[in-house]
Amino acid sequence: MSLRAFLRHETILAILTVIVLTVLAFQSDKFFTVANLLNQGRLISEVGLVAIIMTFVIATGGIDLSVGSIVGLTAILTGVFWQNFGLPLPLAAGMAILAGMVAGFVNGFIIARFGVPPLIATLATLALYRGLAEGISQARSVRGYPDWFYVLGQGDLGGIPTQLWILFAVAIICAVILGLTSWGRTVYAIGSNEIAACFSGLSVDGAKLAIYTASGFAAAVAGVIFVSRVSTTRSDMGTGLELDAITAVVLGGTSIFGGRGTIIGTVLGLILIQGLKNGLSLAGIKGDGTIVLIGVVLIMTILITNIFRRDGTR
Amino acid sequence: MALAGTPSLKAAGLRHQSGFWTKLYRGYGQETVILCAMIFLLVAVGLYNPRFLSSENLITIFSGNAYIAVAAIGMAMIIITGHIDVSVGALIGVLATISGTLAVSGYPVWVAWLLPVVIGVVINMVIGVLVAYARIPSIVVTLGMLSILRGGLISITGGAWISNLPPAFLLAQQKPLGVPAPIYIMIALSILAAFWMRYSPFGRSLYAIGGNPEAARAVGIPIERRIVSVFMIHGAFAGLATILFATQLQVIQSTVPPNLELTVITAVVIGGVSILGGTGTVIGSTLAAILFATIGSALIFTNVSAYWLRAVIGLLILVTVLADMIRRRRGA
Amino acid sequence: MPQSPLPFVRLAGVSKSFGGIRVLKDVDFDVRPGEVHALLGENGAGKSTLIKIISGLYLPDGGSIEIKGRAASFASTRDATRQGIATVYQELLLFPELTVAENIFLGHYPKRPRGGIDWSQARNEARVLLDSLDCPDLDVDTKIAKLSVAQRQRVEIAKALSHDARVLIMDEPTASLTQADVLRLMDIVRSLRARGVAIIYVSHRMPEIFALADRVTVLRDGALIGTKPIGDLNEESLVAMMVGRSIDQLFPKAEPMIGETILEVEGLSFGKLVKDISFSLRKGEILGIAGLVGSGRTELALTLFGITPAAAGMIRLNGKPVTIRSPRAARDFGIAYVPEDRGLQGLVKSMSIAQNISMASLDRLTRGILIRFAKEAARATEAVKRLGVRARGGIHQPVGELSGGNQQKVVIAKWLETSPAILILDEPTRGVDVGAKAEIHAMMGELAQKGLAIIMISSELPEVLGMSDRILVMNNGRVIQVFDRSEATPESVGAAMTVAHQTLEAA
Repeated sequence: MSLRAFLRHETILAILTVIVLTVLAFQSDKFFTVANLLNQGRLISEVGLVAIIMTFVIATGGIDLSVGSIVGLTAILTGVFWQNFGLPLPLAAGMAILAGMVAGFVNGFIIARFGVPPLIATLATLALYRGLAEGISQARSVRGYPDWFYVLGQGDLGGIPTQLWILFAVAIICAVILGLTSWGRTVYAIGSNEIAACFSGLSVDGAKLAIYTASGFAAAVAGVIFVSRVSTTRSDMGTGLELDAITAVVLGGTSIFGGRGTIIGTVLGLILIQGLKNGLSLAGIKGDGTIVLIGVVLIMTILITNIFRRDGTR
Repeated sequence: MALAGTPSLKAAGLRHQSGFWTKLYRGYGQETVILCAMIFLLVAVGLYNPRFLSSENLITIFSGNAYIAVAAIGMAMIIITGHIDVSVGALIGVLATISGTLAVSGYPVWVAWLLPVVIGVVINMVIGVLVAYARIPSIVVTLGMLSILRGGLISITGGAWISNLPPAFLLAQQKPLGVPAPIYIMIALSILAAFWMRYSPFGRSLYAIGGNPEAARAVGIPIERRIVSVFMIHGAFAGLATILFATQLQVIQSTVPPNLELTVITAVVIGGVSILGGTGTVIGSTLAAILFATIGSALIFTNVSAYWLRAVIGLLILVTVLADMIRRRRGA
Repeated sequence: MPQSPLPFVRLAGVSKSFGGIRVLKDVDFDVRPGEVHALLGENGAGKSTLIKIISGLYLPDGGSIEIKGRAASFASTRDATRQGIATVYQELLLFPELTVAENIFLGHYPKRPRGGIDWSQARNEARVLLDSLDCPDLDVDTKIAKLSVAQRQRVEIAKALSHDARVLIMDEPTASLTQADVLRLMDIVRSLRARGVAIIYVSHRMPEIFALADRVTVLRDGALIGTKPIGDLNEESLVAMMVGRSIDQLFPKAEPMIGETILEVEGLSFGKLVKDISFSLRKGEILGIAGLVGSGRTELALTLFGITPAAAGMIRLNGKPVTIRSPRAARDFGIAYVPEDRGLQGLVKSMSIAQNISMASLDRLTRGILIRFAKEAARATEAVKRLGVRARGGIHQPVGELSGGNQQKVVIAKWLETSPAILILDEPTRGVDVGAKAEIHAMMGELAQKGLAIIMISSELPEVLGMSDRILVMNNGRVIQVFDRSEATPESVGAAMTVAHQTLEAA
């Protein structure tokens, strides 16, 4: 039993991450400095928030491709509510986040009530929400936010970037929920056998609605943080975010078919990806080479884990 | 012996004959819906703005998205077998760059056309092997491949555009009999593929693999080999689509249209292929690709900002899929 | 029936192990053309391994296989098919979206001279095959998804015949069939036998075995217990061979202690198969629901359980009217449902025994929002002991690895954890071996004695007659008749199940 625990995906990933980070640390002495690490933490946060909630989504056997678009939509709406409607910024941001939650809820509703496969449903809303962002903004961007707003995306609390605190808190809460509560058990049950979960009295529709709404919420918060970090809003923000998040989640060991996955795995996946991006760039390798490497790492990791799982489970 | 449970003779008689029109609807319901939607749009917008129906505009509509239709043929086959490919957009970008570079560097035009197809086949062969033999889910493999190709594309081009393409290279701009080449190619490929899927054992086996993999294996279909083959064919179609894509303009951009793969998948799904695998045809995806172009053009001609195109397509997918789900529930 | 004494397939001394566990030990088996050879044994006895060896799915570790007297070895199932061996499995291997003709000929289509598929010939040949099986009502152009289980099975048989099968292996063919379809299948088997096909018939159902088989082979724990002509055996001696001990009573029935009415249903309706149902149920009572497949029994259960909430009518629990809109609500009202399809509806196969047992009662196992894992394990251990679940890996073993009978016990355990007042069991002993079956029946009796009200849906008439205090017969969505235990006989209940069907048919 102990060998089996050792060969778990998360363990292999952890070892791999440590090895990679160590190697990178040797390539550049700027890598392992506190300042750099904290800055990387800042950059992880947006994808991180989305990826952590995405773990729940994928563990139920679903997927949410619309998160990138929700980021963009929320960013645009923040700008619109603040500049065009003249609302105070906190209220504008709050309403934008609310809109993001509604977007997520719509996803959940289509998926849970109508039974539309999540891949298609969120593919449709990816286009719809991005389209709304583009249409509302008409490709104009908004700038000139007040200084205090940037504390969220560019400031620190006690020396650690603000958004990293948020990410930390969310990670811990979600890890507890997924691993130790009945809601988490429900998520795994839905991912493994949704019908049996329903027949056992678990609230499947409710769980799905909650999860997709949460996914929308996470994307919305990430959107606001993003705006705060780059001091501007544009309608193409968040493009491709969904793939980064899904990559981190799958790399972290969550099965795309549902039924298995952990938050710690996703966090490790995030760390590994960001570490690679940063470490390689500090070592002088161009950004695109890193993207290639991440793709290779994703495939190799799943390949290796498949080899170790001899019972042939997918 | 009187057997309880035997259906009455009347029902038996009826079941022996499925009428022609019933068969047509049952077999091609989705395609009919798309056709109707297109006709509706053409009529409605045409009444609003007659220039919409000018032969020039119609030709643009039909040829502009031809490359999407061609890519959708390969993607349809992939989805019918129950898999997916999210890397085809990046692949087309890479292949287009290779193609353009070859053309500009003085290689014969046929090399610039053929090599992308070959490379497309090879890259997808790798994907197919990973999916079929290493048993990595196709969404994961193609996600990884997407990263690899995206990064690779930026590396190769360094962001620069390719210009000064030799005129002989520009296939998409040639107009035999006044009709742009892409239209011929798109129609020919679609019809060939549709026949092949319907009448060849290979084609039927794809539906079997997507519908019930265990049963397919039991019947003796070599699933792993078929999956690799399907991905290779898909790679070939991606290569062909690249030719149509790369030769449209005088320049080749260094980036791919964003979300190209999602547009292709959307065309396939709206065309009637179920994302769950096992059903659907390629004709539908071709029609859907044309429908997108029709909608895009309709927006322009009705003075609706083009920025709303994406939203409209998203809404369209939703409506299509919801209608399908509701139809299924009622029939069940 | 002309029987050639020369076997078509003969296995001698065949053994097979999986991961160190010997599943077949030195088994001899043969089947002759024009014979129906029944293969029996408890679950885990090795029957399915044996037929998988014959069909080419597995290679034996030891021993020999002969076809028509000559040594043979199969490289694959396709190989075996080519040599004339075909299997009709319990989980039918058909493609729902393809038509009957396409399914029959998938992989070996008749071809046109230039290489394409000759669809019209395929359809004609399919028609001929189906007619030879006496199925004029099956249209070759229908999609499989639209056919009933029995019809699909006939397509599978036609498929086997299209390969020119000389040996047909049938694995639990009547498990999901109505009585009428069983009779029809038996006719088909007889006609195949008359044609000289050798049939290996794997089944638990005594009546069919005694009606059809020429010889019987019994396996137990992977070893051959014996092969005998059916004339040398009766039901008792056959069961004794299977189980190694004599089971005095297949259906132990304790003295019922019936209390007050707990459930009243009036005019319950939903969809096409629950029409104006009314009945009552008392504590400590076992109410059997009998009927043909498709008569609405499961649909009634699903309505009571909240999966398909009632569109009309009233449900009263302990005198109070209640509305049940979801399984969660049903559970909270004290209603439990052990489903018909335990693999799909009853269990999460990848999760452990403990996790499955707690799945319906998680709210009782939480302190705050956290699950109390120690308590979960403790309750699971207790349940496993109480119900006699045999699991080599303990409570943390994935449920998917257990045998049918043990899986069923886990599902029952899950629902007992919710302290139900009403327990609905849908085909509780389907696919369960004789030993576990008796244990489940005994458990039902015990629970009833303790005051639990039980509704038992079953297609096995002996089980219904043996276990129920009252029997409710359904047909086409309606209650046809309610029998008291004392007045129920196989003939009267069977008649109620079928007579009404024809009457309604004519309407």
